[in-house]
Parts: sequence; structure tokens; C-alpha cells
Amino acid sequence: MKLKLTWLLTLFMAFVMQLSFGQEKDITGTVTAASDGLPLPGVTVLVKGTARGTQTDFDGKYSIKAKSGDVLVFSFVSMKTAERTVGAANTIDLAMADDVAALDEVVITGYSTSSKKKSAIASSKVTSETIENRPNASLVQTLTGQIPGLDISTNSGQPGANSLVQLRGVNSINGNTEPLFLIDGVPVNEDNFRSLNANEIESVDVLKDAGATAIYGSRGANGVVVIKTRRGTKDSTLKVNYVGILSYATLQDNRYDLVNTRQALELERTYGRARGAGLGNGAQTGGNVLFPGTGSPLTDAEIAQEADFDWIDFFFRTGVTENHTITLSSGSANASQFTSIGYFNQEGILNNSNLQRFNFRNNINGSSSNGKFNYGTSISVNYSKSDQLTSIGTNGVNQNPLFGALSSLPYFTPDDQPTSQQLANDFFIEYAPFYITDKLNTSDRLDEELKIIAGLNASYKITDDITATFNGGVDYQNVVLLNSQDPISRNQLRFNPAVDGFAQQNSDRQFSFQSTTSLNWNKQFGKHTFGLGGYLEYFKAHRRSFGFVANGLDPATFVPQDDAGFLADTPDDDARVDTVSATKSDAGLLSYFGAFDYDFDSKYGLNAVVRRDASYRFATTNRWATFWSIAGRWNISNESFMDDSVFQDLKLRASYGTSGNQRIQGNTYWSGADLPFNFFTLLQGYGGADAILFNQLGNNELKWETVAQLNVGVDFALFDSRLRGSIDVYEKETTDLFQDQPISGVNGQFTLRANTGTLKNRGVDVALNYDLVRTSDLNVGVQLVGNYNQTELADLPSEDGEIIGIGRNGGKLREIFTLRYAGVNPATGNLLYLDRNNNLTEDPNVDLDRVWTDRNSVPDFTGSFNINVDYKGWFLQTQMQFEAGRDQFDNDYSRFLNPDVIGQFRVSADFLRAWQQPGDVTDIPSVNVNNDQFGSDRFLTPMDFIRLRFAQFGYNFPAKSLETTGISSLRLFMNAENLFTLSEFRGFDAASRLNGLEYPTPRILSFGVELGF
Amino acid sequence: MKKIKYLLSICTLAFLGCNDAIDIQQPGRLIPETTFNSIEDLQRGIIGIYTLYDTTQEIALATNFTDEVAPGVATGGQGFNTGFVFELNSGSTAPFRMWIDGYIELFSINTFLVGLDAYTPSADEQAEYNNIRGQALAFRAYSHFQLLSYFSTDYADDNALGVPIQTSVPGLGDQPLRDTNGDVYAAIEQDLDDAQTLLSDMSSATSTFISRDFVSALRARIAAYRGDYTTALPLAQDLVNRYPLATRAEFTGIWLDNSNAEIIFKLERSFNGPFDFQGASGSVAAGGWAGNMWAFVNATAGGGAYYEFSRNLFNLFDPADVRYDAYLAPSSVVSPDYQNAVDFVNEDVLVVQKYPGSEGQFLMNDLKVFRSAEMLLIQAEAYADANSLNGGSASVAAAIKQLRDARYGSPQALPTYTTQTEAFAAILNERRVEFAFEGHRWKDIKRLGARANQNIVRDPLDCAQFNVCELNNNDFRLTLPIPLTEFNGNPGLREQQNPGYGN
Repeated sequence: MKLKLTWLLTLFMAFVMQLSFGQEKDITGTVTAASDGLPLPGVTVLVKGTARGTQTDFDGKYSIKAKSGDVLVFSFVSMKTAERTVGAANTIDLAMADDVAALDEVVITGYSTSSKKKSAIASSKVTSETIENRPNASLVQTLTGQIPGLDISTNSGQPGANSLVQLRGVNSINGNTEPLFLIDGVPVNEDNFRSLNANEIESVDVLKDAGATAIYGSRGANGVVVIKTRRGTKDSTLKVNYVGILSYATLQDNRYDLVNTRQALELERTYGRARGAGLGNGAQTGGNVLFPGTGSPLTDAEIAQEADFDWIDFFFRTGVTENHTITLSSGSANASQFTSIGYFNQEGILNNSNLQRFNFRNNINGSSSNGKFNYGTSISVNYSKSDQLTSIGTNGVNQNPLFGALSSLPYFTPDDQPTSQQLANDFFIEYAPFYITDKLNTSDRLDEELKIIAGLNASYKITDDITATFNGGVDYQNVVLLNSQDPISRNQLRFNPAVDGFAQQNSDRQFSFQSTTSLNWNKQFGKHTFGLGGYLEYFKAHRRSFGFVANGLDPATFVPQDDAGFLADTPDDDARVDTVSATKSDAGLLSYFGAFDYDFDSKYGLNAVVRRDASYRFATTNRWATFWSIAGRWNISNESFMDDSVFQDLKLRASYGTSGNQRIQGNTYWSGADLPFNFFTLLQGYGGADAILFNQLGNNELKWETVAQLNVGVDFALFDSRLRGSIDVYEKETTDLFQDQPISGVNGQFTLRANTGTLKNRGVDVALNYDLVRTSDLNVGVQLVGNYNQTELADLPSEDGEIIGIGRNGGKLREIFTLRYAGVNPATGNLLYLDRNNNLTEDPNVDLDRVWTDRNSVPDFTGSFNINVDYKGWFLQTQMQFEAGRDQFDNDYSRFLNPDVIGQFRVSADFLRAWQQPGDVTDIPSVNVNNDQFGSDRFLTPMDFIRLRFAQFGYNFPAKSLETTGISSLRLFMNAENLFTLSEFRGFDAASRLNGLEYPTPRILSFGVELGF
Repeated sequence: MKKIKYLLSICTLAFLGCNDAIDIQQPGRLIPETTFNSIEDLQRGIIGIYTLYDTTQEIALATNFTDEVAPGVATGGQGFNTGFVFELNSGSTAPFRMWIDGYIELFSINTFLVGLDAYTPSADEQAEYNNIRGQALAFRAYSHFQLLSYFSTDYADDNALGVPIQTSVPGLGDQPLRDTNGDVYAAIEQDLDDAQTLLSDMSSATSTFISRDFVSALRARIAAYRGDYTTALPLAQDLVNRYPLATRAEFTGIWLDNSNAEIIFKLERSFNGPFDFQGASGSVAAGGWAGNMWAFVNATAGGGAYYEFSRNLFNLFDPADVRYDAYLAPSSVVSPDYQNAVDFVNEDVLVVQKYPGSEGQFLMNDLKVFRSAEMLLIQAEAYADANSLNGGSASVAAAIKQLRDARYGSPQALPTYTTQTEAFAAILNERRVEFAFEGHRWKDIKRLGARANQNIVRDPLDCAQFNVCELNNNDFRLTLPIPLTEFNGNPGLREQQNPGYGN
């Protein structure tokens, strides 16, 4: 609106000017951006040495009066100012080049920001363009594969599921391995992003090396992810933006080749099992029998008449998601604001799972009129509600919907569903789909979450050189869980008929508060710039939860979340006694630290940090620890000898330093709260009486785990900045690892948590961007983001330097130790293994024949290959994610090849080529195999994959076509996630780190519109 | 400059006020020095010790690794990889659980005794104080004996390796080696002698607490295991006299927890108590409801019976015997001609009902530890050992008849035995029936198998799937290996691994 007014006004001015300077001629032309060839509206065009000027219109066109010989000056924000002399021609077109210096990226360095050139740290940045408008519920999931060294794995497709985030390998064996996440300066729970709206995010900076993370010492050992949300700009009119996305999620493919009805029954017939062999279920016990048994094997004709039902289609669906975000931003002279309102409603691909979310955010910036006092606040209020499926990943034939989907025999159909009472009367293991359907119909599991993140920062310039700053924030979340089971449900009638159902509710409040108070001094002496800062940091986290289980529900009046249907306990027994629970935990950290910065002429720089940290976790003697770092840079491209080189930018960086980890076990601030101490606890004991029992054997020598990191990196831009990127090599060493020190079982436990052992991570981060085509119409850019990381263990606490499950000295972390499977014995149909002497055996010795496999579940290579194309408003973006060097047991396949369950569950059609008689050469053992009880590498599968992780295609309508609509920008786009995956792994999701009856992440197709007013 | 000073002082003040971030006491922690301050605290402490005891692991081992059970109608392969194929190594669940459970008990008792010693009772608390100490010492003896019974190769050889004795709280770095059986028995004797004088009650009214009779019963069992029948006989006789065998009506009540007839000691299992949960099906880790070791849901034919009676155990049961009614679920389907059944699994469904449930909870029952039937059969062993086989009194035949008379509810024929081996075989078979699913079978084969010339033998139909049907009474797998995990923290023990386990 403002823009329109401005150029109307300008036209008016031009008209006025025309009257005054009648002898000049009209010069017209079009100004475009050299980078993308799109017209540039709002470019100021001045006749040099005069006050005469105009601005370009929506189409980049201008018209100005000038005389021959006059010089026109074209200027625009972030573009190089250009001059053209008026000659004979009446038309002057111009392609304006980006001003590289002006575009210099802002880099977050600890508590302050710096220009990319002056930064000496290793960090990566992702801006809003790569995060926004993705169909995913989780901000973290959208970062997958975008940042070199940032390994994000999502094991569950349940809406709102958490992801595991690890930077540059794994730094700890039992402690926390996830980076510190800060949103607008407020540290937040790294396991909870389901309530946050990715469309509010301005940028994500990932700080990697010691130079960057030491300043976060007590929590920076695993790296730091700094998230900034959008803010308004001062002196701007109201801008309104709307984004709407509609998504369709479906199950990814598997290649397990599961049997159909004919194959299932033929297998059963061959092996004398179940229906195929004519055997009924429970015929003798009078239960609810779907097939009483004919006594003789089914004929081909009978088999052909049986139903063939796909239970995967029954339990899974196409999940529809809608996502709406409206943002408003504006600013006056001394204040600006950004407001965002979001609504998100996602259906999971499994029935009965979904997430519904409301977001509200308001960010305000302000300053005093003299500019000495500056402040900013941000508040985000998020409410989400989700139906969660439980028992995912378990073998619960009456619980896990994945089991029902994958393992149900295809000759059962939903029409066969017995009643809850019938299901409760008898147990037939092959009735898994009916048990699970009954469970889904008769139970509820609801999570409600309120999450508030609020932050305040304020600074005051005491003198020109000295600034005092306060930065504080809170992360509050309240999760209310509801879990209920109807009285008339199979599981209730079966397991606990005396209790008429139950309703469980639990409220879990977590509150964390952090404040950082600092005093900074900055001063320039000629070409020398010095900075000095002193900081005090305080962190406290509280957790309070309480809940109840109400036993006994009246089905007529019970509604989840209400007590109308609660039945009281009767005098007859204690079946309906309700139970209550409550917990209270506190955690805290205290730190003070100093930082020193020096720069010489933007050529050389040095940063140093020293800090003292204390954690509530350790005994008083080990509470405080010191961490430090030093980082330096050399901006080679700023040296005069580089003036004529191909490099637009070349910078060498190096850093070394330490940071600490005090989250020694578990996932929360509060877990492992007082491991140094021995204590007893009061509990309900023998016969229901109160009891006091020894509860924890403490280790009062526990202390901080320390990560030392060396990083050397280079940032570069060359060939007219066509090729840009950075390469970093690093070596990290974690010492005093929190590990289980083996002790004799006479202590009542086999291990004691102690600081022992060393873990190394070595690797390379690479980010390369190359502009393949850079014309006014067509731009093609390619990008490679990659990380190679190798872990190595040392000083393991065992006599032979090996701990099964952890690894061996000099080996990989969590290296798999198992028997070597060597095929099927053609003579017997049994499995063959290699023994310790590499001889084939059917009877391996588990103690002596297992070997280290040099395979583990941590990837060696991660990254992605991206292509960005735009052509006259059309744009296409693809991200191919890859991962290599990770191995995992395929537990699903192992289950589909378990011969014991033929006739009970759906199996793989690979059984059709099972060994049958001596001489058969096959990879599938005899169904009567008697040595498959040993764990071996038979189902250990390379999980290497290449995946089209993300693709986006769309069109930006040219401003001209929108002129009459009142809309200032319009963009239509189409997204796809996980469109296809190439992998040897046969399951649904090669990227998942969990395997076996897990909720697979979906394939998502979505359509979106973005409107600006 | 003034401003800076002002700010600095604010910072300093803030810093002083910040220590609450790191000085945090978590709620509910009882630090050892101040845990036991009253006799009530000590009573809670001894209840805590009771809470540690669970015999389901013992029952699961005896069920899974012997000839007690066969795959049931609802099997999903539970136990197929372990007991059904007699797969036992130092990494198996059985040695891991038996070892660590025993030492958790001992460690907790010794830690508790430190607190107990530090408390000085008043005069009127003295008797209760002594009684608490007596129970702790009796438990310590029991745990030592349980450990020995799993990890010693030969109960009767005092020079054989037993287990490390623990009579005080160990240091974190302690790496004790195995003591000899003789030393372990001496430590047990010492604790039992002390317990005997400290315990206030001769017997427990509910049978669920330790009394002097628990001590006597334990002594009798230990003596029988050691082959010291001169000690065992009088103890067993006394207990049988004071705990008469149950009547038929009482006997069925025992398994429903309605009757305490003939029960010297049992572990109580209560609704919503610490053992009211579904344990690990088919694993020696067990835990939770005892009946869960055979069925997922309840003790009926449709209750998810993944294990059932092995056929040749069942063949020893007589429908006229109350044990048939008490141990076999009425919903069972007994095939009249099981050997020729078309569908053996579904036509012959022999459901274990020893732990049908109580207090409204399926499958949860008290765990019987000492019953006078065991004492009677210990007498029989003593007579057999003395070669007193036949005759109306003080003989194997008389003891067996006494038990059968009670179980049939009518006088039964007096059996006759021609050899000692035959008599021991009769005792072993009677024990097999009487104590089916009570956790004795595995150890009974080990200690009596040779003398009775009996092995673990499964019915061919029961073991057809894996064709693993027999385990000899001298097989090394009737002694558990020292668990692999112990070696990590106590490498010296590797040298003392039991034979047969790859050393």
C-alpha cells in the first residue's frame, strides 16, 4: 500500500518537475535484479547533482527527465549503486547486481552476533525459506539433512513425535547427546517441538565448534541450536501474510513380500498348521471359533474361496493435514511488532492418531528515542491436543496397532470381529487384529499440551563503550494425559474383570527459567577492536506432576475427562480403590564467565572464553568445573595480495576448547538428580504394608563429562561468488564419560555409574553451493551438504577393553557383537554359523564364537544433495538426503521369518522357498529349524539409503498480474516429502533408528498457497 | 564509573542469591544415617526385606528347563529358545537373575543390619528388635542357601565351590571369590543359630512371616540336600507333627489361598501389591503373578495357556487324587487316546491351575515356600538313605502312604520297594506330583536323579518340534554357570566357572 502511494506521489512529483525543466527529454527504462532477472520495484533513480528523482514501479519501469550528459544514479537496498550517463538513447535499462558486502550474513556467536566475515566459529545457518511451508508438524524434522553434521532421526510417524538430534556424532554413552536448543534466547526442552509452528521461524543457527559453544559451557557440549523467530521492522506499514497448506500422508512402501491368503493357507497346509491343515482353533474348548476345523487339509478349491483381506489398509489411512498461519508485522519509530496465529490439524496415517494445534506468537522490539535503551520481548502460546496410540514398538498382540496391521492373517476380515466378551472368554493368539480393533474401540489416550515460551532482553548503553544486558526467559509446558479403558472391553474383561474399567489422568508441569546478566565493553583504537564481556547465568528447572487412576466406570455416564461415570469402591473388595500420585523435582545450574574478542582491520581475529559452571547434580566437591575456548581467524581475502584472485572471500578459522555435560543420564533436566548419594526410600511393600528399602548405591565421585574439540575450517566464495561454501575438519574427545563401571554383583548390582573412558568423534563437515546458471530468467543452483563422522572408543572400564553393547577400545561406539550367520545347511535345513576358527557349525558357542562386526548403528556419512531452480516465477527445489555406514537389525523381517508363527501371524512369502529336503539349496531354513535361537547377524541389514526427502514446485505470480486484486504477493506450491527411497532395507523407513513394529514416518504430498497483503 | 560499581554490586548480590540453583535436595530421599530412628522404621525396614523375595524365577526355571511342561494351545514360542532346547550358558537369563537376585537380597539385608545395629532399642522394644534381627538373619541364611543350590556342583560335597559369602556390606571394589560349600554352610548355620534365639514366634499365624519353624524347615531342607539325614529326620518329623497334612478340602483351599493348612511359610501376594503385575512370559526372569508362567490371562483352557502339563507328568496323576483336581483346570480337555490324536495340541489341553488367582486377580497367588508335605518326603528320603524301605512305620513306604492317604482321602495300599534305587525313584515321582510347578524339579533331578536312576524325560509328542527330549541327571546344565556379567566386575571368578560352560 505504502509502496503504491510512494510511486503515485513520485509520478506526481515528476509531473511537477516536468513543468519546471521543460527542455529535457524523457528517459525510460526497466531495472531488474541481476541475480534473478526479476523486475525491481522501488529503485530510486536520481539525476546526479540535482534533487530530481523517481522510483521504479511494480514492473521495474521508470521514467525521468534528463539532459544528455546527465548522470543517473540507481540505488536500492542491498544492491550495488550504479551510475549511467544519459546519451543519445531515450531508454536506459539496468540489471542491478547484489551488493555482496551489504548482504554479509549475520552470524550468531554465543550471546552476540557478528558478521560472517568477523566470525571465527564453525556454524551453519538455515533461513526461513528452507523451513517454512513444509507439511511437517515438527520444526526439527524439516531441518533433516540441511545442516552438515546435524543428524536428525525420526523414529515415529505418530503426529507430534519427537526426533533425536545429534551434532557431529555422539558425545556421550549414557548422558544427554542432544544439542542445546534456544528459541529467542530461551533454552527449551529439546524433546518437545510438536507445539511450535515452523512458519514463525526466521532462522536457525547451528553452533558446532568449541569456539562457539564454550560460552554455553554447561549445556553446550553437544552443540547449540539457536532459533530466532520473525520480528517486525521499525518504520514499516502493516504487512499481512497468509499461508495455507493441505497435505496428504500415506504409508511408505515395504518389500517384505507378505503372504496373501492363498500363500498363507498353502504354507499352513504344507506344514500341518492351523486352518490350512484343517485344524480349528479352540474347537475343544468351546470358545468363539471362526473356524472349527475340518480335520483334513484344505483343498485348492477351498483355499480359493477364502477371503483375502489386507489389514494394513484397515489400520492405516491417508492422513489429511491442514495448516494455516497468518502473520502480521508493523513498526513505528520506536517499536515494532510481529504477530502470528496458527492452526494445524494433522491426521496420522494410523487410524486413531492425530494432532491439533493452535499457536499464538507476539514479538515486540522497542527502544528509547535516544537509542540507549533497547528491549525485545517474545511470547508464544501454543496449545495442542493429540490422540496418541500406545504400545507402539511392542509385541503386544492385544495392544500394538502395528502388530494388527502387519501380522494379521489375511483370511480374517473385519466382519469376523467377535464381541469384547467373546474375545475375553478365550485367547487365540491369531486373533491379534480383533484384540487390537477392540482396544482401539474401547480405550482413549489423549494428550493435551499447553506450552508457553516467553523471553525478554533488555540492554542499556551506559557509555558509548559499555553496555549492560539482561536476557531472561521461561519455558513452561503442561501436559495433561488421559488414558481410559471401557468396562466392556476385551482387555478389561480379560485381565481384570473385577474392576469395571479405569480412567487415568495425569498433569505434568515443567517450568524452566534462565537469566543471563552481562556487562560488555567494546572499543576501537584505529584498526584494533577490542571486546570484553562478563556474564552471570542462572538456570532453574522445576517439574511438578500429579495424577490419579479412577478404577470403576459406569459405561452409561462415563465421558473421558469427566468424573460423572466414576464408580465408588464397594465394601466387598478393593477392586475399585483409586490410586493417586504426585512428583516434585528441581534442577539448577549456576555459571559465571568472561569473553574476550579482538579484531585487527577485519583481517585477523581472536576470541577467548573462560567459564566456571556448577551443577546441582554432583556432590559438593565436584560441583564446579572450568571450561574454556580460544578461536582465531585470518581473512585471507582481505589481504592486498589477494586483490586480483578468483576469491571473493577466503577465511581460515581454527578453534580449540572444552565444554561440559552434566546431564548424565536420561532425557530430562531432572533424571539422575542425585546419583552421588546412597539412599533408602519408602514404598509399598510386602503384603501391601509400608516398607523402607535400600534404593540407590551412590557414587560420590561423579563429576562433569568434558568434551574437548579442535576445529579447523575454511570459508570461501569464488568465481564471482558462484561457488560458495565451507569445509571444517574436527576432532572431539569426550573424557570422564558417564559409563557403567562393572562391579561385582555382591553389591546388589553389576554396574555403577562412574566417570570412566574416552570417546572420540572425528569428521568433516562440508557445505558447497554452486550457481550453475545465473541469468535474469533462469537460475539453477546446486548444493551439497555432508558430514563424515567416525566414533572411536578408548579406555573402556573392563579388563579386556571390551564391553558388549558399548564396543571395544579402538572400535566404533555400540559396535555390534554377535555370531556370524553363514547360510542354510543343505543337508539339514538348519542354520549355519561361523565359529571362532571360521569353521561352519550348527551349534555355535555363544560365549566364544561371537565376534566384533565393525558395524554399528551410528551413520558414517550423512547429508543431502539439493537443487534449486527458478524460471520466471516458477521454482523447483529438491532435497536428496543420504545416509551411509549404519547397520540395524531388521526385527520386522525377523518376525516375518519366524517359523513358529506360521498359522498364527502373517509371515513373509520367502517361506515358500524354505528348505524342505536334504539337498535343497536356499537362503530360508527349514520351518522345523532347531538352532535359530542364537542372536546372529542374519537380520543385520545395511541401512544406507538415498531418499527424495523433499521436493517443492510452485509459481510466484508477478506483481503486475495482482495489481487490481488488492493482493501484493501470491505464491502457489506443491510439496512432497519422502517421495521415494532407495535402500537395501526392506522395511517402511530406512531412516528410522528403531525397528520392529514402529509407527513408520509417512510419505506426504501437499498443496499450499501463500498470500501477502 | 559509579554506574558500573552499582551494576557490579547488583551482580554480586544476584550471585549470592543464586546458590538455590545448585543446593537442591530431592524429596523423599532417606539418607542412610537418618533412615532408621524408631522401632517402627525398623519394622518398615524388615518389610522392605520381605519385599525382595520372589520364587517365581525358581518356579520358571524348574518348569521351563525340565519335563514339567509342554507347549500349550496358545504358545507364541515362549521359552522355545531356552528351556525347551536346554539352552543354558553364562549369558542366559537364569544365571543372571539367580545370582543378582540373591546378592540384592544379601546386600539389602546387610545394609539394613547396619541401620539396625546403630539403633539402640528401649527395654520394651528389645523383643521386637530381636525378632526383626532374627528375621533378617534367617533371610540371609535362606539367600545364601538359594545361591548355593543354583551355583554349586554338588550340595553334599563340603569341598566343592559354593558362592561368595556376604555377611557385611561390601566395598565398591570388592571382588570376592567363591567360598567352599563347607564355609557357606557354616555361615548359614551361624545365622540360623542366631535367628533361632532371636525370633520371638514359634510359628506365624498367617504363615507369611518368618518364625522359628521357618528356621527348622530350612535346616531340614539344607540337611536333606547335603545328605545329612541324621540332622534332617528329627526336624522334619517335628514339623510334620505340628503341621498336619491338609485334608482334601483344605488342600484345594491351599491353592486358592483360602487355607493355610500344612503351610510353614509362604510369600504373600496381595492385590495392588508390589507383585501384582504380569511378569515375563516364558522367561526365567518371571516376576509378578505366579500363574503367568503358564498362561497369559487365566488358568482355563481359553486363558492363553502357552505352557501346559507335560504329558508324562500328567500321566502320573490319578483322577481320584485331590492333586488332580487341585492342579488341573476343570476346563482342560484330556484326550482319551492322546498318542493317536489327529491334532494333539488342540485335542489334549492340560491346563495348569496351581495358581488360578486370588483377591479378584487372575493368576496371582501366594508363593508356597515350605509345606509339611516336603518335610514328610524328606523323612522318606532319610529312610531310603538308611535303607529302611518297607514296613508300616519309619519307612519310605509308610511315608509315601501317609501322604497318599491324605491326598486320596482314604487309606491307600502300602507300597513295597525292592531296592534303594526303586525307593528313591518313588520319592522322586511323588515329589514330582506333589510339588509340580512349585520350583523343585530341576534341583530334585540334580540331587536325587542318580540315586533314583531318573533323568529329565519328555514325552515324544511334547518334544517333537525340537526333538530335544532328555537331560541326564549328571548333565552340567543342572548347575548354573556364574553369569558373564559378574566377570566384568570380578574377573578372578572366571577361573572358578562351573564345568561345561566353555572354560
